[in-house]
Parts: sequence; C-alpha cells; structure tokens
Amino acid sequence: MSKSPALTILKENVWTNNPIFVQILGICSTLAVTNNMRNTFIMTMGVLLTTGFSSFTISAIKSLIPRKVRMIVQVLIISFYVIIIDILLRAYLPEVSRQLGPYVGLIITNCIIMGRAEGFAQANKPLISFWDGITSGIGYMLVLMALAVIREWLGFGSLFGLRIMPEGFTPWTIMIMAPSAFFLVALLLWFARNLQTAPAKTAGSPPPTGAQPAPGPAPAQAAPKKEQA
Amino acid sequence: MFQKQIMMRRVLYALLPIALFSVWLYGPRVLLVLAVSLGGGILTEFLFEKKKGGKVSEAVLVTSTLFALSMPPAVPLWIVLVGIVFAVFMAKEVFGGFGRNIFNPAIAGRLFVYISFAGLLTASFYAPGNFGAAAGNLFGKVDALTSATPLAVMRDGGSEPLLNLLFGTRSGSIGESSVILILVAAIYLIATKTAQWRLMLSTVIGAVVPTAIFWFAGVPRALPPQALLAGSFLFITVFMSTDPVSAPKKPASQWYYGLLIGLVVAIIRTFSGSFPEGTSFALLFGNTFASLFDKIVNDLAKRKKEKAAAAKAAASAPAAGSASTQGAGK
Repeated sequence: MSKSPALTILKENVWTNNPIFVQILGICSTLAVTNNMRNTFIMTMGVLLTTGFSSFTISAIKSLIPRKVRMIVQVLIISFYVIIIDILLRAYLPEVSRQLGPYVGLIITNCIIMGRAEGFAQANKPLISFWDGITSGIGYMLVLMALAVIREWLGFGSLFGLRIMPEGFTPWTIMIMAPSAFFLVALLLWFARNLQTAPAKTAGSPPPTGAQPAPGPAPAQAAPKKEQA
Repeated sequence: MFQKQIMMRRVLYALLPIALFSVWLYGPRVLLVLAVSLGGGILTEFLFEKKKGGKVSEAVLVTSTLFALSMPPAVPLWIVLVGIVFAVFMAKEVFGGFGRNIFNPAIAGRLFVYISFAGLLTASFYAPGNFGAAAGNLFGKVDALTSATPLAVMRDGGSEPLLNLLFGTRSGSIGESSVILILVAAIYLIATKTAQWRLMLSTVIGAVVPTAIFWFAGVPRALPPQALLAGSFLFITVFMSTDPVSAPKKPASQWYYGLLIGLVVAIIRTFSGSFPEGTSFALLFGNTFASLFDKIVNDLAKRKKEKAAAAKAAASAPAAGSASTQGAGK
C-alpha cells in the first residue's frame, strides 16, 4: 500500500501529467537551455533537486505558514535551494556555471516548482512531497533531454560534447537558436499527446490515463497552468 | 490524385519560362533541384492528406517550384529536401493543409534552410550563362567558382550593370534573376486575375519610396534604388506576396500589407549586417500581420456601417415621427 502511491505519482509526473507535455509549465527554460546536452542535464538536475527539496521543506512546515503569506514563504524556500545550487555549481563546475549564466538563478521562476509546492506539497506529507518533486523534475528532465539530443545532434553534430557526426557534416545553425526549440517542443508535445490519447481510442475502455484527474495530486490540475513568463 | 486548382496552374504556367531560362543560366542542375523539391513536397503532402483522406493540392506544386527557384544554383540537394519537407510539413500541413496556413510555405522553408545553413548557401552562388557552362562543368562541384551576388557587390560599394540586372545575367538564386520574365509573368497573372495587382503595386511602392529616401538622404550603407532589381525582391513580390492564402483579403488591408513588406525590405537591406537580402523576412513579417490587417479593416467598416445605420435611424426617426403626426393631423 505504501508503494503504490509512489508508483502512481511517478507515472503521473513522468508521463500522464508531465509538467511540459500536459501542464505546459517551465516552457521558458525549455526554450533557453536545451541546445547543449551537458548544460541541459545540469540545469534540469538543478530544477529536479530544487523541486524535490523545496516540496519537502514546504510540506514539512506547511502547518506553520500562515495561509495569506504562503506564496512568499514558498518563494523564499525555493530561492534558498536555488542559491545553494548556484553556489555548488560555481564551486565545482565553474565553466558550466558561466555558460548557464542567469538561467541557474532563474530556476526560481520555473513554474513547475511553484506548481508542485502549491498543488501537492501544501496538501501532502513531506516524504511523498519530496518524491513528487523529484519525479516532476524527472519528467521535466526527460523532455528537455530529448529536445537537447535533437538540438545538439543537429546543431553541433555531437552528443554530450562528443562528436558523433562525420567530418563533412553541416551543422544546422537554427537548431542552436531559440526558434528551433519552439517548433521542436511543439512537435514533441504533439507526438506525446498522440501517444497518450491513442490507447484510449483504440481500446475503447477507460484506462486510468487521460482527462480525469487521478486521486493523488488532483490539486495539481488546478495549480497555476499559465505559461512561464 | 491532385485537386484541380486553376489558379495554381496559372501560376505554374507563369513560372515555366522562368524555370526554362534558369536552366539556360545555370545548367541542367536546376532540373535536378526542381525534381527533388517537387518530389519532396508532393510526398510530404501526400502522406498527410492520405491520413485525412484528402487530395494533394496543386498548390504544393507551386510551393515546391517557388522553393526550388529561390535556392542558390549550387545548393546541395539534401538541403533542398530538408527545406521543402519543412516548408510543406511545418508551414502548411501542421496548420491544416491548403488554405489554412498563416505563412507562405515556400518562404518559410527557404528561411529555414537559409538560417540553418547560411554559410553553405551563400557560398552556393555561381556565375550564370550558357547552361551553367560559365561555371565550369554541368553537374560537378562548383564551390570554387562562387560568385558574389549583385546585392553583396553593391553593399561593398560596387555596381552591377543595369542591363545585366534586367536580363538576369547576374548571379543569384535560380529563378529570381530575370526581371523581364518576371514582369511578363506578373502581367499574365494580373491579366488572368490570378494575382492581385494591388499586392504587387503596394509592395513595390512600399520598397521604392523608403529605398529612395534612404539613398538620397545619404544614409550610410544605403543601397541604390536599382538594388531592388537585384536579389529576390521582384520574384517574391510577384509570386509570393500575392499568395492568395497568406495575403490579406480586403483591398484596404492589401495596401497596408504590401507597404509593410516593402518598408521592411528597405529597412533590412539598408541596416541589417548579416542578411543583405531581406525580402523573405519581410514577407513572413507581412504574413504575420495579414489577418490582423483584415480584421482591423473589417472592424472599421463595421463600425462605419453601424454609425451610418445609427445616423440613418436617427434621421429617419423624426421623419417617421412627423409623418405619423401628419397622418394624425389629417
């Protein structure tokens, strides 16, 4: 019994309620950092850890936070973790830190973190909130990594900085530029939604996927759905 | 297999002499580029339409031909394929197929490859003439014989003989060079009511006026007015700004649309450092505003009509009132 909600949450956050495919959150960073797999990985790792730990902290002290100021407190907690990650990056991966530039600091504005805090951590126990934050981060990471694979492959001819295309390969400059992320994320979204709805159509039976919110993180659906500014 | 579209056929007829002339200019390689473009375009649309149960529109033939003609002559064939697939797929079918696209597919595809492979493509121009013999051999590599386009030459302060510009014996994209043939095609398209003269005229005015102003005001880096005969400006004006799908529909908005495209052409050509040829960008820019212009014009007309109706009602009300009092008086 203790294992099944964790699994449901994992499935929810990675696939049926994926932060990018379904909730359309965190699009800003999706467009900005995905032209290079290493940076994408480190950036999404930062988001993953921040989401997990801030969800954990918020859930742990939720009874102490007055409802009226809870947003401010949440932002404070999130920024605390973001600063820690920023400092860690600067200390141990200074080059990556320089390349990512403002985007590490901007993790705080990632809607996914706020969305999980508001939608899940506010109403659940700390440990499961931590798990929810981590899995949300994984869902986010998987999509961004998929984008980064395409963009780095075509844009630089390499993966994780390792050259995989032959010498004569002509790089697709547009893949390095932000516009490509726009249509690639749209195509990926299209593809994923098709996959998500296809079994429901062919089987005709009502599988647990789809429109109806699952019992666990139901409030997540009501969480701020607006796009990242 | 094809959906019959008379208008699109006429555009194809208009493009035929230009394509033939470009074979003379750049050799049989042009036919290869055309074949790849047509094949890729038709196949992409076919795959989509098969799923929807529709027919391939003849518009895709126009799109593919225009796309092929807007490529530099020595373009690698795989780039043609990438571009045309992107054009038909991302700029047309994704929006729902023929008649629903916001942007001109051929131009969207062209810009996609131009931005992606800028270095390679700007090195793919070669000197025209005599079935491509001027560039050496017919099919082989011509990279060594790269020649600067007139726009680049003018940018650097040089000049191109006006006659070369008129006859199209200057380097450039495959089908853009012959001013005379393009003008003939324009006359044919206007005479058969295939293309809207307003769109062409307003685009030309929109470009000529600011270009002349920049030139005579002595703006640094301004191009001489005959630069409008160079590059793809006329080709795009005649064949792409008149695209019935992506251009606005109301006469007034067609004027705004053309003027906007022309203005953006002049601005990009004068002030942009990395892209001396701005017509494609300008056209996409215009496309973005096409339906907005239509809506504004529509709303204005509606408001005017309402106002007129209100005025009429106000005017007729006392008249009716007096009539009734007259009736009562009798």
